[in-house]
Amino acid sequence: MQSFYLAWRYLAYHRLKTAILVTAVTLIVYLPVGLRVLVDQSSEQLTARADATPLLVGARGSPLELVLNSLYFGSDVPAQTRYAAVAEIRESGLALPIPLYTRFNARGYPIVGSSLEYLAFRELRVEQGRSLAMLGECLVGARVAAALGVGPGDYVISSPESVFDLAGVYPLRMRVAGVLGFSDSPDDDAIFVDLKTAWVIAGLGHGHQDLSQPEAVGQVLSREGNEVVANASVQQFNEVTEGNIDSFHFHGDLSDYPLTAVVVVPPDERASALLQGRYQSDEQAVQIVRPREVMDELLGTILTVQKFVVAGAVIVGGATLASVILVFLLSLRLRARERQTLFKIGGSRASVGLIMGSEILAVLIIGVVSAGVLTMLTSRFASAAIRALIGL
Amino acid sequence: MRVQGCWAGVVLLGVACGGAEEAAPGSSAATVSAEDPSATVPVVYVVNYPLAYMAERVGNGRVQVEFPAPDDLDPAMWSPGPEIVTAFQAADLILLNGAGYAGWVSRVSLPEGKLVDTSAGFADRYLTVDEAVTHSHGPEGEHSHEATAFTTWLDPTLALEQARAVHAALVDHWPENRTAFDEGLEALEADLTALDAQQAQLTANAGEQPIMASHPVYQYLAGRYGLNLRSVHFEPGEMPDVAGWRQLADILSEHPAEWMLWEGEPQPGVRDRLREMGVESVVYDPAGNRPEEGDYLTVMGANAENLRTVFGSGT
Repeated sequence: MQSFYLAWRYLAYHRLKTAILVTAVTLIVYLPVGLRVLVDQSSEQLTARADATPLLVGARGSPLELVLNSLYFGSDVPAQTRYAAVAEIRESGLALPIPLYTRFNARGYPIVGSSLEYLAFRELRVEQGRSLAMLGECLVGARVAAALGVGPGDYVISSPESVFDLAGVYPLRMRVAGVLGFSDSPDDDAIFVDLKTAWVIAGLGHGHQDLSQPEAVGQVLSREGNEVVANASVQQFNEVTEGNIDSFHFHGDLSDYPLTAVVVVPPDERASALLQGRYQSDEQAVQIVRPREVMDELLGTILTVQKFVVAGAVIVGGATLASVILVFLLSLRLRARERQTLFKIGGSRASVGLIMGSEILAVLIIGVVSAGVLTMLTSRFASAAIRALIGL
Repeated sequence: MRVQGCWAGVVLLGVACGGAEEAAPGSSAATVSAEDPSATVPVVYVVNYPLAYMAERVGNGRVQVEFPAPDDLDPAMWSPGPEIVTAFQAADLILLNGAGYAGWVSRVSLPEGKLVDTSAGFADRYLTVDEAVTHSHGPEGEHSHEATAFTTWLDPTLALEQARAVHAALVDHWPENRTAFDEGLEALEADLTALDAQQAQLTANAGEQPIMASHPVYQYLAGRYGLNLRSVHFEPGEMPDVAGWRQLADILSEHPAEWMLWEGEPQPGVRDRLREMGVESVVYDPAGNRPEEGDYLTVMGANAENLRTVFGSGT
């Protein structure tokens, strides 16, 4: 027991040296193991959401961009497709189409324009308030609600795309209808609106003063019969209220309105195959992708990189281990006089060996335990870390 | 009694990701059948009375039809609040008139998979409202609002097509009740065909006889029977303003109508003033809302009789 005590006192006295050795051992163990955990968890997380999303339809372009934007609301906004794609899929009777329009954000949180079916599809529950009902309302994800401190009845304002685009997209003040329950997914970090509300943010739909009323005379350029032509100073509403909601309208053919993607949910593999067959032609302006396949390709790249990183970590770990052994050996040589003293005061060879061995063992145990704790922390916070690292 | 159950409009989701029904934004509105408590009666929401009537006739007791618009408002101009929108969301099926009817539909969140546009099949035959005010403005370039005439059911042949669309939607959702739906449609087809024949006979001598309408809602009626009809914007319960009377006088100078169709009984003062201008008033109720007495067919029967008064023909 005395040997262990003396070993412990030695380590405690030489704190800096002990700390360096423990850190070295910790890193030797943690680097490859922690990296493995991180990669495994990221793979699991990425594939889980991709697995839960059977098919995606979007404009031709980068499939990875389409998948990352549609599943995680990150990445750049993919090329836009037309709302007509939704009607085509629905009319085919082969799948349930769920439109997505994820172009805008509010204070850095993505605004996801979709239909009510999206909430059911992702199994999202409204925890506070109610679901979307009226134009101009939004549902906020659990983390958005916590971060912005908003709840039912509060307001969220969409961010303009560019502060210099004075004639472009106007901010829309959206009433929070409800808060979604925590789902540990990118949906927690999103703000959901009806697709039509997203189109209002895009300026495709709007509400404004009644041009037939005398108050609007200053904005009217001409009146010819039943046609009124107004200038660009017509006051447009930046919030949908009970009093002005009836003035909101959309121009043109809705089937030409933009979407960033359509989540496609076929009932079975046969319907899925038939649907994919329809989009195989290169002449199609749209593409259909299996998110799982796209993510597998991405993960394949990540795993290749991981192999290099692990190999590097192993080499660095080996060199570090050699250094640690060298430190121990040199330390033992430097402590030759200390050992002689211990022998002279009656210490047996075994006791002295036990003291030195205990010191080395303690350093190794503390290093391995530290690596274990770090690995556990990595496992616990990998989900958030991955999203932060790759911006999803 | 409400029953929490599967969200019928998202059957596909149930297959693809089991358990989704628990997270649906609105539970099914299906109600328990009085005859068999173990069976549920699907709930169908509609946006106007003609569709409610069609759904009731075609549904033949196998569906519960809900038409929540207030009795005293025109459902075309009505806007429901969040509570009623939530009730619509919980329906098993939502029947829309289409043709721009019930503009509130474009300003609320409804599950797209449950929506059925009953006039989509004849969208190429939509008529426009000549008297509608259009406007253009905005930095995105000029655009205009061309209003589509939406009282499609006033042409009984189009009403028949809408009834068939209702039938198709019901069969698609509840194929087990197909026989009952087929019987309901067959009976309704017979009634609408008879109505069409009756009105065709009554308007057979209309020729180019000019007639007026108090409101621009009779485009499909005029289109079906070749009526020479023009409209003003008079409300049955209101005295038109000076500009309104002036507009009528201008139209009458080139369109010497002796009759004006009204959606409801005009005020006595309005009727008298029209009579002074040589125009008699007669009601042709579009039946957009549920009538106080009778049903769609009785209202249309009364309308047909009034057409007999206008055109003085038929037997």
